[in-house]
Amino acid sequence: MMSALYVSKTGLAAQDKQLSTISNNLANTSTVGFKRDRAMFEDLLYQVQRQPGAQSTQDSQLPSGLQLGTGTRVVATQKQFSQGNIQVTEQPLDVAINGRGFLQILQADGTIAYTRNGQLQINSEGQVVNNDGLVLEPAITVPQGANRITIGKDGTVNAYTVGQVAPQQLGNITLADFVNPAGLQAIGGNLFVESVASGDAQQGAPGENGMGALLQGNLESSNVDIVEEMVNMITTQRAYEMNSKVVSTADQMLQYISQNL
Amino acid sequence: MDRAIYIAMTGAKNNMMAQTSHANNMANLSTTGFKADFEQARSMGVYYGDGQPTRAYALTESPSADFASGPMIATGNPLDMAIQGNGFIAVQAPDGSEGYTRAGNFNIDAFGTLRTANGLAVLGNSGPINFPPLDKLEIGSDGTISIIALGQGAETMVEANRLKLVNPDLKNIEKGVDGLFRQRDGLTAEVAANVRVAGGMLEGSNVNAMSEFTEILALARQYEMQVKLMKTADDNSAASTQLLQMS
Repeated sequence: MMSALYVSKTGLAAQDKQLSTISNNLANTSTVGFKRDRAMFEDLLYQVQRQPGAQSTQDSQLPSGLQLGTGTRVVATQKQFSQGNIQVTEQPLDVAINGRGFLQILQADGTIAYTRNGQLQINSEGQVVNNDGLVLEPAITVPQGANRITIGKDGTVNAYTVGQVAPQQLGNITLADFVNPAGLQAIGGNLFVESVASGDAQQGAPGENGMGALLQGNLESSNVDIVEEMVNMITTQRAYEMNSKVVSTADQMLQYISQNL
Repeated sequence: MDRAIYIAMTGAKNNMMAQTSHANNMANLSTTGFKADFEQARSMGVYYGDGQPTRAYALTESPSADFASGPMIATGNPLDMAIQGNGFIAVQAPDGSEGYTRAGNFNIDAFGTLRTANGLAVLGNSGPINFPPLDKLEIGSDGTISIIALGQGAETMVEANRLKLVNPDLKNIEKGVDGLFRQRDGLTAEVAANVRVAGGMLEGSNVNAMSEFTEILALARQYEMQVKLMKTADDNSAASTQLLQMS
């Protein structure tokens, strides 16, 4: 049948995916530590209907052939790891990473996941956990009776207990970094897992060797730019409409020939 | 039956192919660095003897791509770049050959190699560009890439490589089946020092939705006329059959 129909269909499908990406970004405008996605388009293969440069006769060549494109596709969604705004919350267990790096979270299956969301909490056993109750790695346990916790820029966690002047050092929060953070696989729950594309995790102390410093009492808000998403949404909608118009035009052409011949 | 129906048929068939070319342009309204394809129709005369030269069949061709610049979109992403004016970025095609593109949405893979969105290695001074783990990357207006290695201060910014930017004669450039541009003569293009790039920007698709859609409508109407001609040829044939029919 008419290939214009299928070509426009790829346009519709790609714009549909783009809109899903935009709506997911907009839905996560208030998600702490969220990194926005960007859909990247690529043109599909071209089909050579007539080869340019072929001999049309023994002494003459076709000056130009006919190559027909087969449409477009979303080749990747790229996570944009630009820094989100730092928001002051004054909560002692909120930390923001100012720069590169990820907090490490121990998942239920024993593997490590990585996050930029620094909303930490304490569970019933005194362990520092994330919002889903997964334990921070390396594990930090807050003793009974601690009334104040400080987290240094370098990740040192101290607790002050009533009646003691000197703080008690509970441990160090370490960060992990990747050569290609955009290659990390998002698994939901603000978590990322390592992939072949991201490279291996390199651990380090916050504030050293290129790692970002930890800021206690702050959170990193989502890096979604609402205005940009809105503009993208408008262009997506119009591009979708244009492609659906091409589908209906192609349909009318086929309808015309089947009714008139 | 008269040959008119076949001539009208090639018209209709080639209108459909032209429609596909426009549909492809329309589908790539949001493809970074996409260049719209032109489409043109030509008459191919098939003449014999001394008779009236009426047998001219239609032939649709895609002579070239439209090399006009697309809109510049500011993204603020340090790994995005757009070429200002003429020129192309050299990338390595999957078969190892050199291809040229205008899409500057790059990323760095797990081994530190600079790649395009679809995974092709971007070429620099000598082959693909590799980086050590880095903290910051800046692309200068002539394609020079300077980096700050991970854990170093701002005073250690060094020149790491330079993008291979080329500016071949556009008459000698054609789009391959993989969407990359190549030289018609099969040679690789010379490095051009005068190509200017802008970091943190992307070049959008240069497809003009208005003109594409107008073309699509015009082609749809032209197609209807071809079908009408086929119908007329059919009617004429039916009439002459009826005349000769013995009742």
